[in-house]
Amino acid sequence: MTSTEPTLPSAASLRWERRRSSVSRFWKAYRTHRAGLYGLAGLALIALLALTAPLTVGADVQSVTQAPGTALESPSSEFPLGTDQFGRSLLGLLIWGARISLLVGLLAAALSVAIGTLVGIIAGHYGGWFSTVVMRITDWFLVMPTLVLAIVLATVMSRSMWTVVIAIGVTSWPTTARLVRAQTIAVESRPYIERATALGGGHGHVMSRHVLPNVMPLVLAQTTLGISTAILTEATLAFLGLGDPTVVSWGGMLQDAREAGAVSSGHWWYLAPPGIAIALVALAFTLCGRAVESVLNPKLGVSR
Amino acid sequence: MVMVTKVPPRHTPPHRALRLLLASGVTAVSLVAVPGTAAAEDDKSAGNTLTVAVSQSIDSLSPFLAQKLTSTSIHRLAYEYLTNYDAKDARTVPGLATAWTPSADKLTWTYTIRDNSKWSDGKPATAEDAAWTFNKMMTDPNAATANGSFTANFAQVTAPDPKTLVIRLKKPQATMTALDVPIVPKHVWEKVGDFSKFNNDKQFPIVGNGPFVITDFKVDQYIKLKPNKTFWRGAPKFDELVFKYYKDGDAAVAALQKGEVSFVPNLTPAQAAALKTQKNIKVNDAPGRRFYAIATNPGAKAQDGKTFGNGHKALLDPAVRKALFLAVDRTTLVDKVFQGHAVEGEGYIPPRFGSYFWKPSDAQKRSYDPTAADKVLFAAGYRKNAEGKRVGKDGKPLDFRILCHATDPNDKAVGKYLQEWWGALGIGLKVDCLDSVSDPWVKGDYDLAFDGWSVNPDPDYVLSIHTCGTLPATPKDSGATDNFICDTEFDGLYAQQAVEYDTAKRADLVKRMQSRLYDTGYMNIMAYPNALEAYRTDQIASITTMPEAAGNLWGQDGYWSWWSATPTASASDGDSSGSSTTVWLILGPVALVLVAVGVWTARRRRTTADDRE
Repeated sequence: MTSTEPTLPSAASLRWERRRSSVSRFWKAYRTHRAGLYGLAGLALIALLALTAPLTVGADVQSVTQAPGTALESPSSEFPLGTDQFGRSLLGLLIWGARISLLVGLLAAALSVAIGTLVGIIAGHYGGWFSTVVMRITDWFLVMPTLVLAIVLATVMSRSMWTVVIAIGVTSWPTTARLVRAQTIAVESRPYIERATALGGGHGHVMSRHVLPNVMPLVLAQTTLGISTAILTEATLAFLGLGDPTVVSWGGMLQDAREAGAVSSGHWWYLAPPGIAIALVALAFTLCGRAVESVLNPKLGVSR
Repeated sequence: MVMVTKVPPRHTPPHRALRLLLASGVTAVSLVAVPGTAAAEDDKSAGNTLTVAVSQSIDSLSPFLAQKLTSTSIHRLAYEYLTNYDAKDARTVPGLATAWTPSADKLTWTYTIRDNSKWSDGKPATAEDAAWTFNKMMTDPNAATANGSFTANFAQVTAPDPKTLVIRLKKPQATMTALDVPIVPKHVWEKVGDFSKFNNDKQFPIVGNGPFVITDFKVDQYIKLKPNKTFWRGAPKFDELVFKYYKDGDAAVAALQKGEVSFVPNLTPAQAAALKTQKNIKVNDAPGRRFYAIATNPGAKAQDGKTFGNGHKALLDPAVRKALFLAVDRTTLVDKVFQGHAVEGEGYIPPRFGSYFWKPSDAQKRSYDPTAADKVLFAAGYRKNAEGKRVGKDGKPLDFRILCHATDPNDKAVGKYLQEWWGALGIGLKVDCLDSVSDPWVKGDYDLAFDGWSVNPDPDYVLSIHTCGTLPATPKDSGATDNFICDTEFDGLYAQQAVEYDTAKRADLVKRMQSRLYDTGYMNIMAYPNALEAYRTDQIASITTMPEAAGNLWGQDGYWSWWSATPTASASDGDSSGSSTTVWLILGPVALVLVAVGVWTARRRRTTADDRE
């Protein structure tokens, strides 16, 4: 017998279809935000520069023993941004530094949002005294000055990139936790959660299958916004001399410039580029984050 | 001073700004008045203040504990020592003692104490005070922490009369005319209980008999001193001396440019180059009295024989240390990191102290030679593994840590070079930069460390810190030792030089000690950094360097620089304080008039309002 019924699409292909359409819906909405597009273009450019750095400038740019120039040269055709106190090309360092700055920013934001989401969902799901206790801890972290806490952490732990990631991650999660908890409570008050529980869905199932997908948009927007904060905090910590002194990052370049006496001797080309780069990347992420937020957050989205 | 700029330009003629000011009369007055007062106050204290920017924290204000350069420099100013070093050529000159004579067997030294030195509380400084200070250091180990090396060989110290101090020695001692020990007032210090805990920073002014009196101290903020008007050599010319903390070098330089500080030490080459071109600022670039070195942890030990700390075992192997030091290119460091403002390191004592300066012979010298370093490691059984990492005897890759001072840019810069040089040998290096390195240092929790000492004209002290006798008594104590070096041959030579009165013979022994220290390979002297410092010529008219020709100002072996500094004759000070007074004279009445007008208008308004009703 040959089947005359049309073959039903499998569950997997249905899921893919749905995802594709939601992505295209997202992109359509995102496209309407001009600022978001600028931000995205800027990010793409910077990411490209950072990723191709090993080909364009090469890891040798960090080497002090093979530095091509003399100390603190002013901009020239050979060194468009001049050189640092070791005679290394500042343009090369700026491009190379983008890697660390972006990496630390991404990792720290991811860590912070991961902690925040976990705490938020658990607190929102279980509720009761447990939620109260967890939220009081969150509040405690929230009122704690982030930078001071990060400085303390970075001082206590050894100087490395991971220290900075952890220091930023564990100090900046409370906002996400609060947002996610609120969203979790909102999601869990919907009837389908009750049905899922009635059908035997346990805590883990409800949290991971029903709540998490529904808070994801919020989490995504929060991450994009968090990256710019994380990059700024990383630069601040590195500038305060709490980063790893042996890796090149933008904040570290500012710190090196200060130590070489570039500020008082007027070598602005040492100071300005990393500062501008930090500002541009932070701006790009903020623009993207705002656009993502207004697309995904129904409260912000409807008006547009 | 230049505070005038702080006063907002608010002296618009009242009739034009009247309406606006009437509306906010009180605000305007406060705006005008507050900065005015601040400026006036600043000026009063700044009248003749010599402000020195410093960055190194004070370890203790107790002369029995202080070892850091800032602290000991301040003790030079606050207390008189038996003898001092001449500013010109560092020969011994009278201090608290006017004359000294050894007995024929050189075991009894008699010092004549001057009768014109007074403590700042009015009591005379006598031989009794000196005898008490030395006796305290001989009997109380806690009082011997900083300068115990000087008194270890004393048998008995007495003061038969207020003008005579007699020191009897167990063995001859070469440092008897270079006892760098601050003499403290007995009547103040005999009340102190535990010398290991007393930091001398609770009661101000601190009683002393040096050219200055310490009047105030706030940790990492400032140390204030006033001149001792009765100082026997003559009172200093400035009305106040302030050591102000700038943890950031660039901030200190900016303060110098603005005239907020008069003197900044430890400039970077870029700062010095930029300051050289500015008017009213003089840059002093002189051979320094410091050495700058890498020290290895030789396995920290206490005198009770217990070892402690977590220093890397591979560094106990002389071959590893030799290979590491062979891979350090000192010429490059001088060229690149110090940009020529240093002299390449050789022996332990800087070339400035010519008679004790020693250079390694060609045979023993560890010149830069990475291939030789590789060979040394290979011969000693350290092979590279598949990933190109050098593997230790225990099969683990060699990874060292180096302790670096987070406040010293040179440490970080040299760290980068070391990472690359040693990385080429397959040896990993982690640069641990800390704000305060003393904790891991004292506990022996380091592999390598950046080290540096200022050397006195008499080298006894800097040599003593590498003798076994200065190791801590138990792992819990701290000793005067620099980095736990304990070598019997070195100790033997140290004992010999300490009793040698013949200068030439002693210099020879000191050179042999340096040679031995070099051969042990525990330290690698990388450079003798220059003193790179700058001061404002519109605030300091003249100041004595030491040595007088091409010498340094900060961290001298005496109090010469700050004692001799003379303020610039009213050129800037008088002028600006005058103009500040003028500003105050103009702004004061203006403010008063404004208040009066404001009040008057307000009252008038009310009355007219009433009238209108």
